[in-house]
Order: sequence, then C-alpha cells, then structure tokens
Amino acid sequence: MLIKRVLILLPVLIFFILLQSFFWVPTYDEQARGNPHRLEEYITASIGDAKILNPILNADNASSTIADQVFDGLIDRDEDLRFRGRLAESWYIFEEAYFYLNPKALINGQTITDPENIKLKLLSYKGDSPSLKKTLLNIKNIEIIPPTKGETIVQVPGPDTNEDGFPDPVNVEVSFKAPPRFKVTLKKVDQGFFENIKSILGNGYFKTFPASDYVEVESAGHQDKLSVIAPQVIPAVEHNPVIIFLLRKGVTFHDGHEFDARDVEFTYQSIMDSENLSPRISDYEPVKSLEVMDNHTVKVVYKRLYQPAFGTWAMGMLPEHLLNKDALRMEAEAKGEDPETFSIRDSDFNRSPVGTGPFTFREWKSDQYIVLDRYKDYWEGAPNYKSYTFRIVPDLLTQEMEFYGGAIDSYGVQPHQVERLKNDPAYQNFSGLSFGYTYIGYNMRRDLFKDKKVRRALGMAIDVDKIIKYVMYDQAEKITGPFVKQTDYYDKDIQPLPYDPEGALKLLQEAGWQRNGEGKLEKDGKVLAFTLITNSGNDLRKSILAIAQDAWKKIGIDVKTDIVEWTVFLGKHVNTGDFDALILGWSMGIDPDLYQIWHSSQTNKMQLNFVGFKNNEADDLIIKIRQEYDYDKQVAYCHQLHRIIADEQPYTFLYVGKWTAVLDKKIVLKEVLPSGEEKIKKITPTKTGNYSFHFNKWIKLAENPVFDTE
Amino acid sequence: MRNFIECINLNMFFFTIRSFFQKLVTLLFISIISFLVVYLAPGEPSQIDPLNPKFTPDDLVKFRQEFNLDKPLHVQYYLFYKNLFIGELKSWKDNQPVLGKIHERFLNSLWLFIVGTLITWCLSFPVGIGAAIKRGSVFDRTTTFFAYVLISIPSFFFAYIIIIFVVQTFNIPVIGMQTFGMAQAGELYRAMDRIWHLVIPSILGALGGIALLSRYVRAQMLEVIHQDYIRTARAKGLSSDRVYYRHGLRNALLPFVTMFGLILPGLIGGSVIIESIFAWPGMGRMGYEAIIARDYPIIIALNFIAAVLTLIGTFISDLLYMVVDPRIRL
Repeated sequence: MLIKRVLILLPVLIFFILLQSFFWVPTYDEQARGNPHRLEEYITASIGDAKILNPILNADNASSTIADQVFDGLIDRDEDLRFRGRLAESWYIFEEAYFYLNPKALINGQTITDPENIKLKLLSYKGDSPSLKKTLLNIKNIEIIPPTKGETIVQVPGPDTNEDGFPDPVNVEVSFKAPPRFKVTLKKVDQGFFENIKSILGNGYFKTFPASDYVEVESAGHQDKLSVIAPQVIPAVEHNPVIIFLLRKGVTFHDGHEFDARDVEFTYQSIMDSENLSPRISDYEPVKSLEVMDNHTVKVVYKRLYQPAFGTWAMGMLPEHLLNKDALRMEAEAKGEDPETFSIRDSDFNRSPVGTGPFTFREWKSDQYIVLDRYKDYWEGAPNYKSYTFRIVPDLLTQEMEFYGGAIDSYGVQPHQVERLKNDPAYQNFSGLSFGYTYIGYNMRRDLFKDKKVRRALGMAIDVDKIIKYVMYDQAEKITGPFVKQTDYYDKDIQPLPYDPEGALKLLQEAGWQRNGEGKLEKDGKVLAFTLITNSGNDLRKSILAIAQDAWKKIGIDVKTDIVEWTVFLGKHVNTGDFDALILGWSMGIDPDLYQIWHSSQTNKMQLNFVGFKNNEADDLIIKIRQEYDYDKQVAYCHQLHRIIADEQPYTFLYVGKWTAVLDKKIVLKEVLPSGEEKIKKITPTKTGNYSFHFNKWIKLAENPVFDTE
Repeated sequence: MRNFIECINLNMFFFTIRSFFQKLVTLLFISIISFLVVYLAPGEPSQIDPLNPKFTPDDLVKFRQEFNLDKPLHVQYYLFYKNLFIGELKSWKDNQPVLGKIHERFLNSLWLFIVGTLITWCLSFPVGIGAAIKRGSVFDRTTTFFAYVLISIPSFFFAYIIIIFVVQTFNIPVIGMQTFGMAQAGELYRAMDRIWHLVIPSILGALGGIALLSRYVRAQMLEVIHQDYIRTARAKGLSSDRVYYRHGLRNALLPFVTMFGLILPGLIGGSVIIESIFAWPGMGRMGYEAIIARDYPIIIALNFIAAVLTLIGTFISDLLYMVVDPRIRL
C-alpha cells in the first residue's frame, strides 16, 4: 500500500537527512575540522547586542566593546591603571589662572590700581613661607590683559519649573566693562594658587571683587538678579587647566586616510553638537576651547579645574573626512533624506564604523554577530588574530554550551560554577575584582537614620562574610568605601565593620533604643521599625534582603521588606527619596570623582545622592579630589574621604564581586622575536587582573600547548 | 469537483466579503489595544542606562523629543501606524527600519518553521494512525503516555536537558543557525553544519505539536473506523490496509485541512522560547528582546503582524472548511 509506505518512509528519510549532518560538524578538540581558518579567529559572546557602533554615541557595554577594537582614544590605561598615550604620543598639563584687578581692595592699607604694580608685587616677593615660595616658583609668566567690554547672554533659573521640579532657565542679555585682568601661566595645575597668593594681595582681594560694578543687565525684569549674574560674567578668579596633546604621526584610519589634529577637533565638536544627542556631552561640558595648533598638536583648555575630564580622552576618535558636513550631506542626498536634519546619528557609519583601532569592521548582523578583521597597518603592529567575532547569545547557559562546543573562545563564569570550572584541565582561567559594589543605603532624611550610631549598629548586625560565602559562593570581597578596590584611591588600611550583634545592641542602647517586654527595640514609646526595599529581577539582592531582615529582627528591629519592579523602584522610591533603606549596587569608573553620588548638592529629586548624605568635610574633599591634578595628592584626599564615609556609614558597604573567566586552553601569546623566531607564551593577567591586556598578541593553536618551564 | 463549483456561488461571495470586513474591524481594535498596552506599561524607554551616574535629566528630554514621546497619545498612535505603513518606522534600539529587520528575521524563522512543521505533520500521522488501528496495544499505550508527558512538560525544559546532554557528551556546538567560524569552510561542510543546527531546535519545537496532533489524528481515526461505511468496506473483502488508508484516512483527514490555516500565526508566536534558548535569530526572539529593551516600534509592529497572520489564518481556514465540508455555512 503506497500511502502506508510513504507515511512510514517519509519521516525516516527526513530524520536520516537531519541526523547524518552530525558527522560533519567540528568539535571542541577538533575545531579545525573542515575549517583550518578557525584557529585564526577569536570568538567571544555577549548577552546583549550592540546598539550603535560610534564611540561618541554609544552608551552600552556591547557597543563599547566593539568600539574599543575599532577605535583608538588619545590615551588609555596601562597595566597599573595609570594613563598611557595611544593616539597621543604624549601630553603635558599646565594651568592658566585668571584674576581681575580689584581697585578697591586694600593691600597693606592702600589700593593699587596699576596692574603693573600687582604683577611686580607677585614676581618680586621675598618671603620665607615655603608653601608660598613653591606657589610663586610655579609661575611661568604673568600677562596683563587690558580692560575689555562687550555683551553676552547668561542663563539664570527662571520662574517656571519643568516636570522634574527644576526651574526652567531663561536667557538674560547683559553688557559688561571689565577691569584689567591677569593671566598667570602656571607650570603645574595648582588648585591652591589663589588661596596662597592671598598672603601677598590681602585676604579679601578676591572676595571683595565688585563684579556688579562692571555688569549691567539689559533684559527687562531681571535687574534684581545682578548679584547672581555678575560673578558669572566677570568671575573674580578662574582656573583654566590646559592639556596639550602631541599626536602620534603616521597613524591611518582603516580607509588609509591619515589621522591628525582635525579629527580630534571634529570628534569634540560632534559631541558638543546638540543635534547628535551624544550621551557624552556632559563629560565634555567643562571644555572651554579646543584648538588645533598644528597637524599633530591639540590644545584643550578647561573652564575650571576638573581632573576626571582627562580620562574622557580615552574615547575613540572619529574620522572627520567621513562624517563632516559635506560627507553627511552627500549621504543624506544619496538616501533621499533632508540634509538639514540628517545628523551623525542617522549615518550608516554607526553600523559600519571606520576608526584607527587594531580591527576593521566587516559585518554586523543584528542580534547574531559582529565580525571585525585585523587592520594590517595598525600603528602598534597588526594583531595575530585575523578576525574578531562578537556573538550575541542572550542566554548564559547557551553561552556555556557554545564554549564547551568550541564555538566561543571565552566564557564569563557564574559564581556557582567557579569551583567546577577552575579545576577543569581543559580550560585556562582568570579572575579579578569588578568595578562596583553592592550596598544597603539608609535614607538620612528620616529621623531614624540621622544618628550615626544607628547606621553603624545596623551594619554591625549583618554578617557580610556569610553573605559572601552563601550568596556569592565566595566570589566576592568585603569593601569598606566608595572607591574601586584595586586602585590606589581605595585605602586598604580601613577595616570593615566587625560582625558583632552584641556590639550593635550596645550602640543602639547608646542611641536611646531599649529592648521592651517583647524584645523589640523601643525609644520614647516608638518601636524601631522600617522597610527595606530592593528591585525585582535580581536574585542576589533578594537573598541579601532576606538575610538583612533576619539579622536585624534578631536584635529586635521590626523590619519589613518589599521587592519592587525596576522602573517603579527608580521612579517612586529612589528618584523621589521616598524609602527607608534600600539594597542597590553601583558600577563605577576608575576615576575617583564622587561628586554625583556623595556631594550634598546632589540630594534633590532625580539626583544620585538619594540617601541624602551631607557632610561639609566630605563636600570639601570631593571638590578637592576633582580639582587635583597631582596623583599623589589626589590619592591622599581620597583616603581622607574614604575614612569619613567609612566612619559615617551612610551605606552599609557589603561586597565587591569577583569575576572569573575561562578561556580555551589552546589560546596563547605569540611574539615574534627580532630574530624572526616565534615564541609562544602562556597568557598571564596584569596586576589588576586584566588578562586581555595583550589581546593583540593572542593566537589559537591546533593542540594544547606545552610551555617551556621558565 | 462538483462540490467545489457548488461552493462558488453568491452565498459564498457574500460570506467572504462580510468575513473580510469583520476581520478588518477586529484588526483596527487590535492595533489600538496593542498600542495602548505597550505605551501604558510602567517605565520609560530610553537609550541611556539609568545606572550610569553621568546620566542627566536633560538627556532624557532630548530623547523623548527625538522619538515623539512628548506628543499626545493619539498623535503618537497616528504617527506610529503611518510610519509603519510607509516603511519609515525605525527601531529605537538601532535606528534600523522595522520592516527590514522583520523581513530578515522572517527568513530565518521560516526554516525552523518549515522543518518543524514537516516533522510535526510527518510524524503525527503515522503515530496517530498506528495508535488508532492498534487501539489498546503496547504501542498505543506508550504513545499515549509520551504524548501526555510532552503536552504537560514545557519544551524549554527538554531543550536544556537535550542541549546539555548533547554538548557535554559530544563537545559539539548545537546553538545558533550555524557553527561560528565556519564561514571559510567548504560548501558541503557548511550546508551540513546548517542542517545539524536545525535538528535539535526544530525537533524540540515540533514535540508539543506532535503530541497534540497525533492525539487528534488518533481520535479522528478512531471515530472514522467505527463508521458503517468502514464496516461495509471490510465486508466487501478489502484488505485492512486498503480499508484504513483509503476509506478511513481520507475521511479522517477532513478536519486537518482547515488546520493548515491555523498554523500560520505560529510563525511568530510559536518559537519565542525555542529561538531564545537556541540563539536563533528569528522573529520570536526579536520580539522577546524588543520587550526587554522596551523597543516599542518592534513590539507593536510584531504584534500587528501576528494579528494580521492570525486573522488571515482564520480567514483561510473558514474558506477551506466551506470548500471541504459544504454542510457548514457560517
């Protein structure tokens, strides 16, 4: 019977065709089966796809991973996390400090109106204060700028507020007639310059500068704001740090065009162009001007002292010749779009980028992969791998499986798998600390948490070691403060809070909380009670929530908990400051700038100091840290700040996670010695745990390597 | 043939037109509801990571303007569907045209869908028929057991078990559309590799379908073989194969003809989980990711297309039903 036979044979045939394909596919041990090129490819995986392959526009991890391979910044960080030159061969930093002549100030009982006299006074000072001597020796030259006049527009907070509760700015026209001004060029940036020269010019010289006398408000209805506007237009003193970048010569973009200073200028201008909606715009807001001095020299002047701005130059440089106005207009016309509204954001460049980096872009298939090829003319020498593939695998288990199958070369191990995979002889493994920490934050606007003793006691009641052991599978370390633990900014001498429930009880008693008949803590007839919240979708935080609740209940605190959906968590609780205590984490950059998270000015709605931490000493240090260009001094300030925060305990700092990555064992470092001989070395991580620092020298061998014992 | 011609009469013509317009109205409501559901969900889409300390409220305002989010809801609705129909609608995630993205993903999903459907239909019939003919036998009981197991346990559960088993045992990749790094291998190797990668996801995707469909075939077959005309055929002295496969199967097949129309929407909805687990760059996974990323244009466009496919599917099955079984006039 034909139908019967067909009904049986058809599925058999289909399954035969499907299953025989098994014998053609490469396996982990034989990755080169049918495909020897596999050894020259590096394949890595990510949970999410890249969004936009443009270093000035991207804001996600995946995109910046790719952008890092395709683009180079002027600088980046070396093995010790200190800055090193990339597209900039070297740089130097100095300062231009400005102040206005104050004709009304009394110096030794008399006013000085001739600027030459002031200059002379500074240059000819013969005192014996060593710090003042140091300040004066730092002066390279003093220039007198004759009086100027002009008109400008100033933004001041207006009467209306926007939906987030901030006042809408209004523009005010002003005219000014400025007195003579001094431009003091300093060899090194010195945030204490004006403070120090006060002992020559008199204490009130800068403070009493009558800016309002030189400014007139032209717009009607804003005259009353003169005292606010005038110091903005004619500030008594101004620090302008200057960076001169000397660019590397002979570097070319992937299309062969030479990289030069105009590309740097263009990259900066593109970020500042509000049409491009660059998320980096606030990073570059402190830049006053960027000047191309010659083809390979760029001068960047800043409006104020802001040291973290230097690190922003690690961002990839765009090719001006492909994205300038003419190029964009041509692209818009070719696509039939309006050239007036066509911005860099609309350009195809973002999906097929051209940079100066070690790899050139080949292909991007959304949610599948991005492939890069090596750039043969890379200025530092072409990478060993011929191609770099970035796969998008949304599921971690899948990533793991692909790694076992040899279709991905590296895998970021989950905490609970570390024990198993670290000991697997088939792979090589690396681990290190991540840049971020998890904490319990207390809302210091609430009376309950205003007392330092209470915050400290709450921290002491929690056994962080147990959290690390049972929640994190030992893949975390304690942390005591807000800096990245493997940097110098973090003070390793500060001890974490001890786990001491007894001590915690004692502290609470000192703060006035006594145990009542039911064993609950009570003060003035009120029971110690609050709600601890965190966001849903994070199992680690959920576990910590339960552990903290349990620990606090044990010492007689009535703790309620709540798990809230992320957007609601942010919108209803974090941004509005409506919470008692919360569990959250920060991911950080290496820079020690803590202004947004810890400065007292950042405690309003929608701002990041949502716990309401206010400490004058800390504020002062936070400002000093971001204004200090001397590394050692900056580190010293950071240690002081770290100590204050650790003492105040606005957060209970819990832990910083450890990451572990496994890599195909057949991947090694290959170096070509001057003699032309090839040398194979094992991959070793840098001091900070970065194993891919020498990525460009990696290559995969067909079989497991045997290393010479050295 | 006579049946068919009979069907194409005025009655049917009116039915078709009426049904068509009913579906159009349904579609309008679906478009409004799917738009509202997505837009009224809590949370705001933005391209900025809220955890980034450098994030400022100003940036958010700019993004809102760029993507029309500051306009009233009905204007947004109008702009959205207008852009969708003229092909100008772009994904918020990567600024790519939505229709282009969907087209590309559609082709990828299509393979999985074809092979999966092929397996489902090729396997369900022999199994179902066999079970019906040998009712009560060991074969029947085993298939019944497994059918209920497959129906009650979700396929992603099997997916993980099978993946872990195959990968750990053979150290062979099973995920994605092809093994990565095979681009420069020989044609034959690549073709075989692609087939290999279809095997597990399509079988897993088909499992649930096989379980259901084979049960259905069995039930239909059982009903038919107890009819009088089967007894008559048998009494004529026909071989049992001839009785079952010619007289029985043909009549049992009737309801399945209409099911062809209903498998159409499975193209989008049927594969979300399997595609996500296997990193298969298909439409289901795109929809899932769009939801995670709050990429409204993709979510709503996919919703809309799924609705269109479902309506087309029911429309076709209505028509087929009428053609096959003239007793039914809706």
